[in-house]
Parts: sequence; C-alpha cells; structure tokens
Amino acid sequence: MSYLDAPRLHFRGWFQADVSTINNDVRFFQNPSFVPEYQEYNQNGSWNPEGTGIFRLLDCSVTGGNLGGRRIITPQDDPVIGMLLENADQRAPGKLVDLDPQQQMVSQIWGMQVRLLDAAGKALLAGEYKPAAFCNLWRRQQQGVAGDQQLGATYQSILDQMSWADRLDSPLLHALRAASDDDSLSIDFNVFGYGRDASIPRYTMGHVVGTIGPYVRGQPKHFVMGRQMVADTTQSPVVPAGGVFHVQGRLAPDASALTLDLGNTFQIVDANSGLADIGPVFVGVLKDNPMAPLSTVQASQMEAIGEIPYLHPDWYTQTAGVQDFDLRANAVARSLLPSRPLVLFGPPAQDGSAKVLLQETIDGKYVRADDFVFRIEPRTAQVIQLHASRFGKPLAGASIAATATQGMMGGSGGGARITPPMHPPAAIPQIGTPADAIGFSSSATTDAAGYATLQLEASTAGPGVPRGYLAGQLYGIAYQLTGLPPGYLANPLNYISILAYSRKEVPDKPTWFGDIQPLFTQYGHLYPIMNRYVVDLTDYAYVVSRLQGLRFAFSLPMHDPNHMPVTRDMGQGDRDTIIRWLNSAGADGLPPLGDPIAAPEAAAPLRAAAGPAEVALAPSEGGGKTAFLKQYLQRAHTDQTPGTGEQP
Amino acid sequence: MIRLQGKILREIRAATAGPELHKYLQSAIELEHSTIPPYLTAMFSLRPGTNRHISEKIRGVVIQEMLHMTIASNILIAIGGRPAIDRPDFVPKYPGPLPMDVGNLVVGIEAFSKPLLTNVFMAIEQPEDEVPVRTLKLGEAEPEFATIGAFYDAIKEQIMALGPSIFVHTSAPPQVVAENWFPPDKLFVIDSPETACRAIDIIKLEGEGTSTDPFQSPHDPAHFYQFGSIVAGRELIATPDGFAYGGAPIEFDPEGVWPLRANCRIADFLPGTQARTRIEQFAYNYSALLKALHASFNGEPAKLGAAIGLMYDLRVLSVAMMQTPTGVGSGETVGPSFEYVDTQGGMP
Repeated sequence: MSYLDAPRLHFRGWFQADVSTINNDVRFFQNPSFVPEYQEYNQNGSWNPEGTGIFRLLDCSVTGGNLGGRRIITPQDDPVIGMLLENADQRAPGKLVDLDPQQQMVSQIWGMQVRLLDAAGKALLAGEYKPAAFCNLWRRQQQGVAGDQQLGATYQSILDQMSWADRLDSPLLHALRAASDDDSLSIDFNVFGYGRDASIPRYTMGHVVGTIGPYVRGQPKHFVMGRQMVADTTQSPVVPAGGVFHVQGRLAPDASALTLDLGNTFQIVDANSGLADIGPVFVGVLKDNPMAPLSTVQASQMEAIGEIPYLHPDWYTQTAGVQDFDLRANAVARSLLPSRPLVLFGPPAQDGSAKVLLQETIDGKYVRADDFVFRIEPRTAQVIQLHASRFGKPLAGASIAATATQGMMGGSGGGARITPPMHPPAAIPQIGTPADAIGFSSSATTDAAGYATLQLEASTAGPGVPRGYLAGQLYGIAYQLTGLPPGYLANPLNYISILAYSRKEVPDKPTWFGDIQPLFTQYGHLYPIMNRYVVDLTDYAYVVSRLQGLRFAFSLPMHDPNHMPVTRDMGQGDRDTIIRWLNSAGADGLPPLGDPIAAPEAAAPLRAAAGPAEVALAPSEGGGKTAFLKQYLQRAHTDQTPGTGEQP
Repeated sequence: MIRLQGKILREIRAATAGPELHKYLQSAIELEHSTIPPYLTAMFSLRPGTNRHISEKIRGVVIQEMLHMTIASNILIAIGGRPAIDRPDFVPKYPGPLPMDVGNLVVGIEAFSKPLLTNVFMAIEQPEDEVPVRTLKLGEAEPEFATIGAFYDAIKEQIMALGPSIFVHTSAPPQVVAENWFPPDKLFVIDSPETACRAIDIIKLEGEGTSTDPFQSPHDPAHFYQFGSIVAGRELIATPDGFAYGGAPIEFDPEGVWPLRANCRIADFLPGTQARTRIEQFAYNYSALLKALHASFNGEPAKLGAAIGLMYDLRVLSVAMMQTPTGVGSGETVGPSFEYVDTQGGMP
C-alpha cells in the first residue's frame, strides 16, 4: 500500500526552497580564484547568494481525501479537511541539498518533520520525512516571469517514527493509522511554479500539491510498484513529446478500480495559472501488448476507461491529481488490465485514431532503484535496492544489468563567462574517474517479490582528489531489465548518483593553516549567510570565538537539520579533522594555528572535462538547474556516442 | 529601572513553603527572557562588516540573559515547579512594560540606536546602586517601589529561610546543565539554599555589577555599563578616582544598521508579500525556540540542542527579513515579530 491507496488525504499549499546559489557553479570551489563579487546578488546567475538552505511547507492544508472509496472534500465529510500541514515546531525546518555542484538533478530534502494540526493547533500526527531526492523533473511551466523556474518535479518518500494523537476524531485519520505499518506513512508531493526573482512575492517559493496514504512494510519508499506510464522523452529528457509527463498508478487487487497519480502530468501555463488546457484526455487499456511505443491508437485497439477531469476547477487542488476509476462496470478493462498496457490518449479523430500521450512501459516491465542517491565513504559498502514489476505485479527471476554512466552529471553548472574573470581560471572537472574507486555488481536477479540488490563498494583508497579544488568524486550507475527492445529506456532519469568521498586521514594534531583554513575558506566563499552573519570562517580569530557553536553543528548527524555543513558534501575524514581541531588546545588554550603554508600546495593535475564550451545563459534563465540542464543537453547533443535512447 | 510593586517582596517574604515561591520564579524566568527579543533585534539589525564590536558586546549580554533564564528555570525546577515557556502570554507584548514592571518603561522591538540603548536598555539594566561613571547621568529610582535586585534578594532570603527541605528535584535532568554552552561555575545543579543563592548572585552580578564595581569580571562590565560604553563610544576603564568610559574607542557606523520599522506585527503585512512570509517565518521559528526550551526544562533536556539550532536559524532568518522593504518607497525594512504562533503561512 502507498499514498495511491485509500485511506488517503490530499493537500495543497506552498513550499519554500531557500537554497544558496553560489555553489551552483563548480568553479567557485577553487579558493585562490574567488573574489567577493561572486557573492553578489545575480552575479553570474547567482539568484540567492544568501540562501539558508531551508526547505519548508507553508500555508499547506488538507483539501481532499478518500476513505473506503468515498471522496472527501468538505469538513462535514471528515474533519480532516482544512487541517494544516506544518513542519517541526520544536526544531529547525528541513534543508534542501544538492548532491554536488556537478549533480544538481537529485536535490534532497533532509531533516524535515511533517505534522498535521487540528483546528486547535494540536498535532494529530507527526513524522520524520525520510530524506529523498526529487524525480520526474520536466519543463512543466510554459510561460513565466524572468527567472521563473519552469521545471517541476515530484518527491516521494515516507514519514517514519510517526507519533499520533491518542484521540482521532477524523475517521479518515483513524483508518490511515490502522492501515499503516512500522509507524510510517507514504507521502508524495509535486512542486512547481517556483520563483527566482527577488522582486516577486514567490521568490524562493512555489506551489505544492500532495498526498499522504498508508505505508506497508516491504513496499518501496520512493515510488509505487504499480503501473508506470511514461512519456516519450527521446528529444529531451525534460520535454515530453506528448506534452504530458509520467504517471504511476495501481490496479486494485480485484481489478475493481484503477488509481492514477496525474499530479505531475499536466502542464501549467504560468506559475499561478493552474493546469493548462490541452483538450480532453482519456485513459484506456490496449487490447494488444505492443513491443514499441505507439504514437497513435485506434479506438478499436483499446478499451476506454474514462476521461481525466483535469479541467474541473477544483480537481487538482482536491485530489492532488490522484484519480480513481471505478472498473466494476467495465468487465473488458478488468480482463485486459492484468496483461495489457495503459495508455493516455487525446480525443479520437474522425477516423477513430487518437494521439497517444503516454503509454505504459513496454511489456509492462519496470525496474526502479528505490533510493537512487548515495554518499559513500572509502572502504565501506552500501546496498542498492531494486524492485522490478510487470503490469504492476512483482517480476520474479528478472535479470537486471548495471553499467557505469555519467547520467546528467558533470559540467560546471554555470554560464559561459564568469564576471569578473577568474584568475587563474578553474578547469571544469571530469567526473567518474578514477573508475576503480567504486565497484558494483554488474547484474542481479529478482526474487519472488521482484526484489534484487546491487552491492556498492568504495575502494580503500577512495577516489583521491581527482577534481583538484573539490573533494570527492561523482559516479553513476545505469540499470536496466535485460530482454527489452534495443534502445528502449523507460525513464532516462532513472539512474544511480553516487558521491564518493575522498579519503582523509585525520591528523593527530590538525592546525588551522594546515588543515582547517582550506576547508573553511571554501565554505566561507560559497555560503555567505554563514560567513557574514554567524561566523567568518575565513578568519581564525573569529572562528575560535565561536568554538561552541561549531563543535555543536559539526557533531550533529546528517539527518539533523542543523548539521554542518548544510550541503552534506563533506566526507567523514574532513569532518573528523575539523572536530578534532575544534576540540584541541594549544599553549593559549585555543585550537592551534600552525604555520602558514609558504606556497599553495601544488594541486594534483586536474583532469578537466572534455567537450563543448559552456552554454550561454540568457539573463532571465538564472543559474542552477536551468544552466545545469542546458549544459547536459549540449553535452548529450555533441556526444558522438549513440545519444537518444541511451541512459544519459 | 524596572520597578516592582512593593507588595511582591512582602508576598515573597510571607511564603511558608516552596510552592508559594513558584510564581515568583516563573516571573523571574519571564523577566529574564523578556530582555532577549529587544536586545537580539538590536544586534541583528547591525549590518555585516560594520559595527562588529558593538554586535559582540550585545551578543555577550544576550548570552548572559539566556544563562539567567536557565538559572531561574533550574531554581524553579529544584523547588518542585515547572517552567511554563510554551504559551502566548510568556512573551510580553512589545512595545510595553516588561514582566512585573509597574513603572513607565516602555520596551519595544527596534533597530540599534544609541537613544535606544540610553532610554531603554540602560533603563532596564540600571543597578540599584549605580557606580558613578563619568559622562553618565540618570534619574534615581523612586523609593516606594522595589527593584529587581531587591526582588532577587527577597527570593534568596526566603529560600534560605525555608531551608533545604524545599529542594525536591536536585539533579540534572530535570534541571538543565549544559557544559558545552556554559561553564560549570556559571551553570550548575541547584540542590540547596546555598547553590540557589550563588546562582542568583550570578544573575545580579552579571546584570548589575556590585555597588562598588561596575565590572562583573575583569574586562567585562555588567550589562548596564556594557551598554553605557557603547553609548559613550569608549570602553569602560578603572581610573585613579573611579571609573570612566575612557578606554579603547567603540566605533559606531550609523550607516551600518538596517532601517527597521519598529514594533512590526504579522498583521501589519498583507498575505502574498515577502514581508509577510518572512515575518511569519521568523515568529514561527521564535515560537519553536520557546517550545523547544519548554521541552528542555520539562523533562526532555536533549531538546536543548534543537533549541540552540533554532537560535542560529533566527540569526540567518533575520537577514533576508531585515532587507525586505515594508512597502514601496517606505525606506524602512521589516523588523522581527516575537508573537507566539503555532502555524506559518503568509501566501494567498
């Protein structure tokens, strides 16, 4: 069970993602070239240089629900309607964090608590949001003011360590609690309409609609093992040919109902417009099981299930795009659905043909890594959990192949020119090298539950510092079910992103000049909110006047919202070095200064990324994901290796 | 100077059991807390890169007020009470009088200025027996009212009179002793009349100094004189004939202050504006801080870390808020609100 099951509740409101933006260009990690101008607003596309990293929900309230197949939309239906969804009230809000400046496409929420309040402000439920990255990123917004982030995406995770009020007057909440395992709930939300222009009210904020439902032990936490309808993204991974984006759904075990999540499917015109009218859209099931995506379908080739009421003014806000279809009167659909693919299609023409907007994965087969973002220390191992299905049922005995990929990773993340120019210029690091710093199993076979694992290991030596001015290295793993048609790729965004931390031996007696200053200087450059207002990390005297706070923040676990560094991109060796230094005392009782390093240490030769020149960015495009994506598309376009259809 | 009704002292002296002192310790917690929002606002209003020296001085005072609030809470816990921090009336309404004050002192939430220090902060901290420091002139306290010093003295006397038997929770937890944040000679377990009196003496000394010495420790003037030195623009030093603000200069750059509108309230700003979302976010974060402190002092001492995290967040949240105009062409920016709220919003 998941948020696609009943009982479930839907909510809508706003989110804030107050990310900092100087680190959106990897070149600014090169300390000696950094000048204060790079910290100014809108310099080099840095639209929020004093960002705090905070991710929070605001003005979110419950707008709809489903209990036992009954739609709930008013407080008379169930008192849960109108209740407020809030974040923590006894600790800091969550944080939004890129994996790395060279992988900005899997931004994760960390340390967020979610609570539901009754009218008196009492928390009826509270849970910890298991850190999750967005997925299914696409260009959802068609128009916008300058700086608008026109990309939208989805976050799916669970709330765990749930606590519930003793008394629940809401039948829906009562049922939700009873239906869930492991003190957990399933939560999914879609984010869109985000503003990056400091002069508008939406600055650092956007819309959110989402759903909370039961979580059942053994189910994936970050996607639904169900029916996956995917868009044709052969031209661009973020621009679907049919104008609508991926859908996941589930068929009731007795095939009496189909539930689809269309919350991240329809375009919006501008940030506040609501859904764009693209004409009637229907869902149906094919009578055959074609081995290739269809562009059109004849009415005779399928059984229609229903129209999607997405143009109804309250539909999106009351359902978060989760739509149920009652199949009890449609015996044909019920018989086809267990073995035939779903399609989303437009209105049939005179000749009976309709444009296929989305189609379920070929042969109904789908595999997904539940967690797809990993941070790994040298000499450690982690397990990648995969779930394979066919028409929503576990796919047993399936073979999964895993290969190295760069995914969308790499590039600078910034524009063509840096102003003022860097001296010396920073090379854009190559990623994925040395290849032997990580190892992973190249294949796996699913068990009866469709479940398989890949072992991920980091070498004892780690990657070294192949990126020169930036610690750690990025790696990617592509995975695919074997036996699918050549070149077919269900979802090019499905790959594993790995940040392999550099190995760092903690010195017995770390010093400011020898160990701490280079690290702190980099953070001081990139995060002026910290440097200007809390502690100037570039200044020894200032740092030693704030030892208590620094010891506190550097010692917090990664899931704590106040963990330092906020970016969660520092390896344990560096963190332990800092903590040891903060806790050490020289003759004056303060952490030792050491001796200035006469000349900058000769950096290891940097393997710069080959490939095209930097893309030019229009002033309105801002930095961050837009630049990152444009660079990726340019690399993919220039790359002579087979492009379309391959895992990016 | 904060002036209490004289009957408060009589009531304290009339207490015959520990629980009868609870409400006065709760008042002490509220009073010690009530100075933090105005001081914090003044400190946050100083722009980065300027006025660093002044900022550090105010910060030092704020941290000591946090210590005093903790001490008062521990004494209350020790004699069987429960600090009540997570409720709307814990926070005084600004602008207005501080808890227990029946005088004319109106305390608001304003950006740093020397008149603010002279007229408000120094008035809050004015000692009962002010040590003469040249360049300073302030009015005498009116004798029919009790002072904060007398209030704490009365509590001390009554605790001594009631004796060790009123001490029922003599360990941490439930008391909060945070060695990572406060040295053990400042924050320690209250387990006896003697430790309670020693702790109260720390509050008095750090706030007021002594009747003969304005320094609470070498190089660290008591709060009144700390603020006095900022106003005078020179450090307090001992001179052959007393004390004077004649030490190293304390530079003040008037340009280095955000032009905050005084005493902002959430309702002053329309939903759908940055001003509204930012001030709500600040107030929510401050309320969360009070809730985390309440939990820390009511059996969940591990929540202190979360409270401290929230304090750091307040600092960074103030940054964007204090740069947000209150309206087009106003020339003012949004100041913080310390309203106690349970929800955060601000968008349409």
